[in-house]
Amino acid sequence: MAINRGSALVVGAGIGGIRAALDLAEAGHHVFLVERTAHIGGILAQLDRQFPGNHCGMCRMLPMVDRDAASQFCLRKGLFHENIALLLNTEITDLEGEPGSFSATLLEMPTGVDPDRCVGCGLCAAACPVEVPDEFNQGLGRRKAIYLPIPHSVPNPYKIDPVACTLCGECTKVCPTGAIQLPLEKRHAFRILVVDDQKIIRDSLKKRLEEEGFSVASADSGETALAMLSESTCPLMLSDIKLPDMDGLALLKAARERRPDITVLLMTADTASETAEEAMKFGAEDYLVKPIDPEDMIAKVVAVYQRMTHSRKRQVEVGAVVLCGGTDYFRPQAGANTYAYGVNPHVVTGLELERMLSGTGPFQGRLVRPHDGKPVRRIVWFQCVGSRDIQLNADFCSTYCCMAAIKEAILVKEQLGHTVETTIFCMDLRVSGKSFQRYQEQAVNANGVRFEKARPHSVESDPETGDPIIRYVLLNGECRRERVDLVVLSLAQRPAVNTPQIAAATGIYLNPWGFAHTEPFLPTATSRPGVLVGGAFAGLKDISESVVHASAAALEASRIIHTGGKTAPAEDHEAPLRDVSREPPEVLVALCACGDDTMQRLNVDFLTRSLRRDPRVKRIITIGNICTAAGWKELTQAAEAGLPNRVLLGACHPCLYTRQVRELCRRIHLAPSLMEVVDIMTPALIGMDRPAAAGGGDAVAAQQLGALQAALAGLILQDGPMVSPLPITQRALVVGGGIAGMSAALGIADHGFAVDLIESGHQLGGNLNWLHDTLGDISTGGLLEKAIENTNQHPDITVHRNTTVKDAVGEVGRFCTTLQTPGAAEKTIEHGVVILATGGTEAGTDSYQYGRHPAVITQQELALRMSDKTFDPCSLNSVVMIQCVDSREEPRNYCSRVCCPTALKHALKLLKRHPGLNLYILYRDIMTTGFSESFYTAARQAGVVFLAYEPHRKPTVQPPASDKAPLTVRTMDPVLGRTLEIETDLIVLSTGIEPSLPPALAAAYGAATDADGFFAEADFKWRPVDALKEGVFACGLSLSPRSIPEAIATADAAAQRALRILSHARIKTAGATAFVRHSLCSRCLRCVDTCPFDARFLSETLDKIIVNPAACQGCGDCMTVCPNQAAVLAGHSGRKMLNVIDAVLMAGG
Amino acid sequence: MAKIARVAVKDRDLLKTLRGFLKTLLSKGKMDAVLVPCRLPMKPVLMPTLLSDPAELDHADPLSPAFPLNAARIAARLTRRPGGGKIAAVMRPCEIRAFVELVKLKQGRPENLVMIGIDCLGACRNRDYARWSARAGDNAAEAYARAVLAGETPPEKFEPADACRICEFPTAEAADLSVALYGVEVEKHVLIEAVTDKGKAVLERLGLPAAEMPPARAKTLQQLVEQRRAERDRVFEETRSAVDNLEKLSRYLADCVNCYNCRVACPVCYCRECVFTTDVFDHEPAQYLKWAEKKGALKLPTDTLFYHLTRLTHMSTACVGCGQCSNACPNDIPLTPLFRLVARDTQAAFNYQAGRDITEKPPLAEFRDVEFEEVVGLGADETAEMEK
Repeated sequence: MAINRGSALVVGAGIGGIRAALDLAEAGHHVFLVERTAHIGGILAQLDRQFPGNHCGMCRMLPMVDRDAASQFCLRKGLFHENIALLLNTEITDLEGEPGSFSATLLEMPTGVDPDRCVGCGLCAAACPVEVPDEFNQGLGRRKAIYLPIPHSVPNPYKIDPVACTLCGECTKVCPTGAIQLPLEKRHAFRILVVDDQKIIRDSLKKRLEEEGFSVASADSGETALAMLSESTCPLMLSDIKLPDMDGLALLKAARERRPDITVLLMTADTASETAEEAMKFGAEDYLVKPIDPEDMIAKVVAVYQRMTHSRKRQVEVGAVVLCGGTDYFRPQAGANTYAYGVNPHVVTGLELERMLSGTGPFQGRLVRPHDGKPVRRIVWFQCVGSRDIQLNADFCSTYCCMAAIKEAILVKEQLGHTVETTIFCMDLRVSGKSFQRYQEQAVNANGVRFEKARPHSVESDPETGDPIIRYVLLNGECRRERVDLVVLSLAQRPAVNTPQIAAATGIYLNPWGFAHTEPFLPTATSRPGVLVGGAFAGLKDISESVVHASAAALEASRIIHTGGKTAPAEDHEAPLRDVSREPPEVLVALCACGDDTMQRLNVDFLTRSLRRDPRVKRIITIGNICTAAGWKELTQAAEAGLPNRVLLGACHPCLYTRQVRELCRRIHLAPSLMEVVDIMTPALIGMDRPAAAGGGDAVAAQQLGALQAALAGLILQDGPMVSPLPITQRALVVGGGIAGMSAALGIADHGFAVDLIESGHQLGGNLNWLHDTLGDISTGGLLEKAIENTNQHPDITVHRNTTVKDAVGEVGRFCTTLQTPGAAEKTIEHGVVILATGGTEAGTDSYQYGRHPAVITQQELALRMSDKTFDPCSLNSVVMIQCVDSREEPRNYCSRVCCPTALKHALKLLKRHPGLNLYILYRDIMTTGFSESFYTAARQAGVVFLAYEPHRKPTVQPPASDKAPLTVRTMDPVLGRTLEIETDLIVLSTGIEPSLPPALAAAYGAATDADGFFAEADFKWRPVDALKEGVFACGLSLSPRSIPEAIATADAAAQRALRILSHARIKTAGATAFVRHSLCSRCLRCVDTCPFDARFLSETLDKIIVNPAACQGCGDCMTVCPNQAAVLAGHSGRKMLNVIDAVLMAGG
Repeated sequence: MAKIARVAVKDRDLLKTLRGFLKTLLSKGKMDAVLVPCRLPMKPVLMPTLLSDPAELDHADPLSPAFPLNAARIAARLTRRPGGGKIAAVMRPCEIRAFVELVKLKQGRPENLVMIGIDCLGACRNRDYARWSARAGDNAAEAYARAVLAGETPPEKFEPADACRICEFPTAEAADLSVALYGVEVEKHVLIEAVTDKGKAVLERLGLPAAEMPPARAKTLQQLVEQRRAERDRVFEETRSAVDNLEKLSRYLADCVNCYNCRVACPVCYCRECVFTTDVFDHEPAQYLKWAEKKGALKLPTDTLFYHLTRLTHMSTACVGCGQCSNACPNDIPLTPLFRLVARDTQAAFNYQAGRDITEKPPLAEFRDVEFEEVVGLGADETAEMEK
C-alpha cells in the first residue's frame, strides 16, 4: 500500500465518507478524511442494527485485498488505514484552486483533551461536577462536561464540552497523564463588544458573559461601537440588527473595514427577517433571536471563542474533494404539528427509540418508557414527520424511514415478543429497495407488526396517566382514538446543520431544499468541477444508496486526479522482509515508563528480572516516553543496533502505534506481525487508586507481567511473513453495453486500463434505445450519444458486439473468459476483474386482458407510442394505469422502483398534451422516494385521480363486446367503500422490471443470483455492488430495479471497486492468510464447504486443497473445522494460541 | 417390481444360505468382489476379507458375534478413488453408518460399493470372543444366531459388548440391500430388501422370488429397540453422573495411558495424522518444568484429558456408537457410553443423526442463517430472563 498516486480530501466521516475514503485509499491515493465531530461513523455510531439484515456489518466495508493496510476491527470503533489521515474535530473553511490541484483550508477545534495522552481512565468525568443531557443518547441520559462522545470508540479520548464546562479545574487535578488543558486565563483576554441601544439588554448580556469568564465592553450605538473598535481590538461583536443611528448591516460593513478579522453575531427579533439571512452573506457569523436565550447565546459565543483562540489551521493540497457531509433530521419541536413531541414525554423520535433499544443506551437495551419506567405494551410509529409536507417546504420523501420504522418494530417485537402491539401509521408504505417488500411481509407475518394506512392528526395526553392518546382517520373516514404507551416519530431527513457552511467554503450550489445540487445524470458532480458529492449529502438516501454514491464519488475524484496527471502507475518496490523462520527467536523488549511520574510506579526491576528468565528475551530496555519522537528514536536505535527478530513493546493503546510499528518494521525489514504492543498502562492507572497497603504496586506489576508474558508466548511462536504478492491482469471485462456497462467501462478505461465491453446485441445503449426521457422531461438522448461516442472512441475500450460469454474460469486478478461471436472464432480474454451489467427488461404479463385486447398495453409500449408522432392523446377520453402488475407478490415479490415515477411521467405528459383527459392511476403504494415525490404532488394537482387498491382485491378488466367498444375497469375504492366502474380507451400496465442476468453467467464467475434472478451482492448495505467472491461486481438493472441516475451511480461504484484491484500490478496478500499442511490433510473438504469467501478448492490433478490467498480473508473458519490442523492460518498456529492461553493461565494463577 | 426377495434356507443352515446368497451376488449380481468377514485359514478368527473367487465364500461368516474392527474404514479405503470394479460389502449396521459418515467426509465413495446390511445379532469384545469361541467350538455361529433370533440366551455364557447392549439400530437403514432376519421365519427363508435404487437394480439381476415382509418383523424389532433404548437410557444416566464435572471426568479416564488405541479403532476418526502426534503438542522441555514449578506436581503425560475432550469435540457429531473404542482400550475404560452420551447431545443440537442419510450435510459443513438463537441473539426469552 502507500503508493500515493494522488491525494484527495473527503469531508465527513460518516458511512459515506468512510466508504469514499477507503475506496480512494485502496486505489493508492492518499486521503485526508475530515470529520467535524469527535468520532467517525456519523449517525451510524448511534444505530446498532440496520435493515434488512437486522444486524450491523459495517466491518464488511474494510479492505478485502491488501487487508493489512487497514486495521481489521469494528468500523464503529475506529478506522486505521495507511493511506488515510483521519482528522477529527476538523472542518473545511476554504477551498482554492482547480480540479487536480486544490488547496483546502482546514480548521481543527481542539477538544480540550490531548488525545495522545488521554488513556480513557474516566477519572476526569467522575470528578466533573457538571451534568448535561447526553446527545449520544439523544438526551435520554446525562453526561458530564468532560465526556466520551461515544462509548465504543478506539482509542476513546475524553472531550470537553466548552459550553457546559465551568472551568472549575476539578478534572485537571485528577488526570493521571496531564492530558487536560483548561486555558482559564485566556477567556479573560477575549474581549467581546456588545452593541445594543437598550441598556437592560447590554447589561444582562455583559453580566452573563462575564460569568463565563469573558471580558465585555458595551456600546449603545453604532458610532460608539465603531469608535471603540478604532481604539482597541475586539475579536467578537454582538450587535443588534436595528440601532438608532445605523442598521446592523451598515455597522457590520464598517466594523469589518476597520477590523477585517472581527466576528459578528447579530441579534434580531424577527427570525424570518431576510436582513438576518443577508447579513450572513455579508459575513456575519450567525444571528441570535430576541428575546435572547442566554444558553443559546453562550453556546454560540463559546463556539466563536473556541474557534478563534484554540483552533488550528492547516492547508492541504489535494487533487479532488468529496463531500460526504451526510444529513440531519427534521427537528419536531420546530414544526407546527409535532404530535406533542416535547410536551408528552412518551412521544419519542426514531433515533431516541434506537438508543433506548441499544445495549450502550441509557437503559442497557431494555425497552421501557423513558420517562416513568413503565413497560411498553402498545407502541405506534408515525411516518412522514417532516416529510411529504408542503407546508414545511418538504415536498420530498425521506426514503429511509419506512424501512427504519419496520426494522424498529421488528426489534421491539424481538425483544418483547407477543406482549407488545406494534403499529406503523403510514400514507404509502415505501418498500422500493431490493428485498424490502419481503422484509415488510415478514414483519407482518412472522413478527405480527400491524400497518395502518392513515396519517394521525394529533396526540393528546391522558390527564391521569400521561399516556399518549392518538387520533387518526381511516381511509374510509372512520375516526379512531387510541391510548398507547409510546409514540415514535419517524423523522424526515434534512440537510446537515453545517451544509451551508460546507457549501460556502467549497463554493457549491445547494438545491431548493438545502441539499447539495447535482445534475440528473451526474449523480456525484456538484456545481464546482473537482468537488464531488457522496453519501446522502445530495439528499434522501438510505445506507445502501449512500454507500453506492460514495463509491461513485470516489471514482469521479479518482478520475480527476488521474486526468490531472497525478498518477504513479509503478508499484513501490519495498525492500524484502527478513526471513526469520529459521532463526531462533530473539526478542527485544521495550518498556515505556510513560513520563517521569509513572516511571516510579513502573516496577522495572521486577519486570526485567521476570522477563529475563525466558532465554529468548535478548534485551530489555526502558524508555521514558515511547510515544514521543525522542522515545521512538531511542527504540529505533536499539532495534537497529541489536537487529532482534521479535520486538515487544510495553506501552499503552496498541492502536496508537499502528503507523509507527509499521515504520519501524520497514526500517529493520521485519514483518509487522513480529512486533507487538502490549498495554501495560491501563493496569498501572487502575491499580493507582488502590492503596499501597493492599499491595497495589505488586498486583499491578503482576498484571503487567502477565500481559507481557502472554504476548511474549505468542510472539516467540509467531510465523514469519507468508506474504506472496499475486500478479494481477490489469484489464477489466464488462458484460453488457447499456448505460451502466458503458459508464463502468469508461470509469475504468479513463484510468488507463484496458476494458473489453461485451454486448450481446448489435448496438450499445440498452434500454436507452427506447427510453428517451425521464421524469421531469429530461432527455436521455445527449447522455446516450455521449456515452456511445466516448465508448467507441476510447483507445482503451474494445467493444465486442453480438458477443456472449461462453465460459469463464479463474479468480480475482486472473480470470479467463471465452467469448462467442456468431460467425467468428472463439476468443479467450484474460482479465483481472469482471463487471456484470447485463441489465433488465420490462416484465411480461397476461393479467388484465393484456395480449387479448389491443387497448391494454404496458408502460414501455406507451412510451414507444408517445414518441411516435402519429399517436394523438387527444383521441382518448380516459386512460387507466394499473400499478404493481404481477409485482410485489410471489413469485415476483419485489417493487420495481421505477414504475410509479414512469406512470407519473406518462400521466403528466398525456395531460400536458390533452388537459381534458380523464386519467386514473390504480395503485397499492406510490413509490416516489426522494425528490420524485414532487411529481406525485404535481400529478395530483394536474388532476390525475389516484385510486388505491389492496392486493387481495385487485382491479378487474371486463373484456368488451368488440374491439371498438371501451374497456371497463372495476376497482374497489377504499375511500368511498364502493366498487367503481371506469370506462376507458386505454389501459396501461406497470409490469415492473425483470433482470436479464443468466444464472450460468453469474455462476461462471463464482457469483450467485437471488430468488428473483438479480445479482446477489455480498451485502446489501455495505458491499452493494460486489459479489461475495472478490473481483466480481455488478451494476445497473442486473443488481436491482433502479432509475438511470441510480444505475449510473452503481456503475461508477462498480468501476471504483474494480479499480481498487486493477490499480495494483500485484495483490499483496495479508499476513493472516490460510494455508494447508498437505501431509496432514485428509481431503475431507470440510474447509472448502466452510470457507465463506470461496477461497479454497480441491485440485483433482494435484489431489491437494488449494487456497487463493487473495480471496482468503483470514477468518479462520477452515481452521476451526479442520480436526488436525492441516488448515492453518498464518500467524495463528495452534501451537501459538495454546502457548498464549497457557501463559495467560499461568499468570492468572 | 419387487423390493423384497426371498432366499430359501436349506438344511436349516442359515450360514450356508447366506454364503449361497453372496455367491449369487458375485456371479449374477455383476459384482467384482465381496467384502465380508471370513475365518482366517491359519486361526479361527474373523477378519474382513475381499473375495473375488466364489469358492472362497465358504469361509465367510457374517453371523458370528465377532467384531474385530469396524470395516467402514476398509470400505472407505477400497472406494476412495475409482477402483475399476464393483464391490458388495457385507457390513454391520454400525459399520454402514460409519461408512456413510466417511463418505460425507470424502474419505470413501459410494458409487462402486453395494452395501449389504445384515440384521445385527450383536457381538462381543475381541478378547471375550477368543475365549467364547474356544468354549463354543468352531461352528457356534449358527447356534448363536438361532438363539439371538429366538430371543434366548446364547450358548456358553456369551457376554455381549457394552455398545451392542445399548444399540438401538439392529437393522441397516442406510444399506443398499438389507438382509432381514429378525421377525422372519428363518427356518424357511431369509428376506432381502432393496433399500435404495442401486440395491433394487442389483436385486433384480439375482432373479430371486419376490416376497412380502411379515408383520411380525416390525413388532419384533420394536420390542428389541425398546429394550435397548431402556438399557441405553439407564447407561446414559449412570455415565452422566460419573462424568458431570471435570474432576469426575478425570477419574473416569484415569486409567488412560495415552496409547491412542481408541483413536485408531474409531471408524470415523479419519485424520491421516492426528493432531496429537503433530507439533501442536510438541512442548518445549522448559515448559514441563514451568508447569511443574507452578503446580507443584505434574501428572504425565499432561494431555490425557485434553486428548479425550478433543476427540469428543471432533467425533461426537459423527459417532455411530459401534463400540470399537471400548473394544480397543487395553485398560477397560468404558469409552463407548461416554462418547454415545456426548454424541447424543451434540447430534440433537444440530438435529442430526450420524449415518442416517448419506445426502445430509454434517454439522459445521453448512451454514444456517438462523440457529442457536439462544446463543447468538437476544431472544425474547433472554429479555424475560433479564427482567427477572
